[in-house]
Amino acid sequence: MEFFSYFVTHSDLIADSIIRHFLLFLISMAFAIVVGIFLSIVITREGHEKVGQVILSITGASQAVPSVAVIALVFLFIGIGMKPALVALVIYSLVPIVFNATSGILSVDPGVLEAAKGMGLTKSQRLWHIKIPLAMPVIMSGIRSSATINIGTVTVAAIIGAGGLGDIIYTGLKLNRPEMIFIGAGLAAIIAILVDTVLMYVERKVTPKGLA
Amino acid sequence: MIEYRNITKRFGEKIAVNNLNMTLEKGTITMLIGPSGCGKTTSLKMVNRLVDPDEGDILINGESVFDLDPVKLRRSIGYVIQEIGLFPHYSVFDNIATLPRLHNWDEKKIKDRVYEVLDMVTLDESYADKYPSQLSGGERQRVGLARALAADPEVLLMDEPFGAIDPINRLILQQSFLEIQEEIKKTIIFVTHDINEAIQLGDKIAIMNQGSLVQFDTVSEILANPENEFVENLLGHDRNLKALSLKKARDYIKKEGYITVGPDVDKEAIRKELEEKDLVLAYIIDSRGRLKGRYYIDKAARKVDGRYPLVRETRPYHVERTTSLTETLSRMLEYGEKVLPVVSRNGRFRGVIDLDSIFEEVKQAGTAKGA
Ligand SMILES: Nc1ncnc2c1ncn2[C@@H]1O[C@H](COP(=O)(O)OP(=O)(O)OP(=O)(O)O)[C@@H](O)[C@H]1O
Ligand SMILES: [Mg+2]
Repeated sequence: MEFFSYFVTHSDLIADSIIRHFLLFLISMAFAIVVGIFLSIVITREGHEKVGQVILSITGASQAVPSVAVIALVFLFIGIGMKPALVALVIYSLVPIVFNATSGILSVDPGVLEAAKGMGLTKSQRLWHIKIPLAMPVIMSGIRSSATINIGTVTVAAIIGAGGLGDIIYTGLKLNRPEMIFIGAGLAAIIAILVDTVLMYVERKVTPKGLA
Repeated sequence: MIEYRNITKRFGEKIAVNNLNMTLEKGTITMLIGPSGCGKTTSLKMVNRLVDPDEGDILINGESVFDLDPVKLRRSIGYVIQEIGLFPHYSVFDNIATLPRLHNWDEKKIKDRVYEVLDMVTLDESYADKYPSQLSGGERQRVGLARALAADPEVLLMDEPFGAIDPINRLILQQSFLEIQEEIKKTIIFVTHDINEAIQLGDKIAIMNQGSLVQFDTVSEILANPENEFVENLLGHDRNLKALSLKKARDYIKKEGYITVGPDVDKEAIRKELEEKDLVLAYIIDSRGRLKGRYYIDKAARKVDGRYPLVRETRPYHVERTTSLTETLSRMLEYGEKVLPVVSRNGRFRGVIDLDSIFEEVKQAGTAKGA
């Protein structure tokens, strides 16, 4: 009963929280994807493959760092509010994207690249026509796991004042109001599942024919 | 024409290619052979500037490759590597169309050319929409060759293109490669590990050891006069027999000792003609001249009504015009046939080759050597 009454009385707040939650996710993901793929392209340039290998081990290891730790560190250095939360989200989401994009690009068959070069494809043609499409499935799965982590972390980021559905949960915890916790957690879960479903579809769409 | 002039390439302390001088005539196949690490691939890759030498010059038709833009240079040279390097996310059509597209040909011309080169490597149009992962190793190799030929380059560089193919398919590929070259007459450098392949395919063979050119000559000259022990060992003890593999079935074709019949000729009429001419073999040829089968009077079988049976076979054993005598001989032994029909690449019947011609050839080689 309380569950429904809270829903009705606070529908504005809930709607705002959902929008804010989703915006935090979208903005930070957009940044992470653009920056992450750009970084991966830079560190996997021909002749610099060693750099890529190093970044690969660093990002591989840092995937083990818990999100709360990153958020706490950002709080220490930047402070509280929506912007620091976004910074924390971008940093944390970058890691799987860079890891996957780098390993995807580095694992493109050297024979294919050599043939491409020998046939007279320029550096950028090799990157955009060969490397990126062939690494696409791996890049996309990096984006998907990054998104899953990101949407979970958005909820946690409420502790440094990000807002969103996490706020409703924390308030519920503080005031000991289970209906708020249910609503916050339930909606956050639904958004996470929706995001994952959409990305699964996108992943299938961008996998080039012939690779399946 | 490709000229290597005093080419030296070092990787750190290691000298990969040491003062290489070699001139490859237009329209010929030069086989580059030698032990692993002797510098074959490095020599090859300097032609399309995937590797730049430390010293020396390489000229194609008198023009230094170092005066050309590497990308333009590469687009004018066909390149086939052992791993083939087909683009897995491109269909066979798109793989072959890669260079024509980079050259901005119009789509109609590209389409015609793709089907033309597919046909050249004996793949039919249904392959165009397939992806590399749907092809066998041999088919992939053919597509690789078709892709290299697409923009009609004058020079082809091939680095162990048949290295990963099983022996049977390798023979087939070598055959069609020779027939294709007969048609297109490219200047080809072909790296191989396999001395038989070198003898079979090459106009000339370049033998390398530890970065240096040991001997560079026509195949028959190398077989007859190996420069030193290293070359002798590379050729193997049976180099006299190997010389037989230089001779092609097409030069021993006989047009007698059999009759040809159309696909619908009546069996009795065939038997009658064979008995009149005192022959046992009749080849079935369709209206386009292609070998479709054979009839033979089976004298090993029991007589029926006082006559030997006339047997029909729809898929007779055969050799191609460019099949070597060694290979022809081994097929005769394998099939237990003294006479095999010879066909051209498109399946047209050209005549027969018999065991006696081969023996005659072996005998002559023996006497010539003794003399
Ligand atoms: N990029 C490179 N860096 C360092 N050394 C190299 C490089 N490429 C080739 N080499 C060395 O140069 C020598 C010649 O190599 P190359 O690849 O030309 O040999 P190859 O005759 O093609 O051998 P294989 O039959 O095994 O293919 C080898 O000792 C090899 O280790
Ligand atoms: Mg090699």
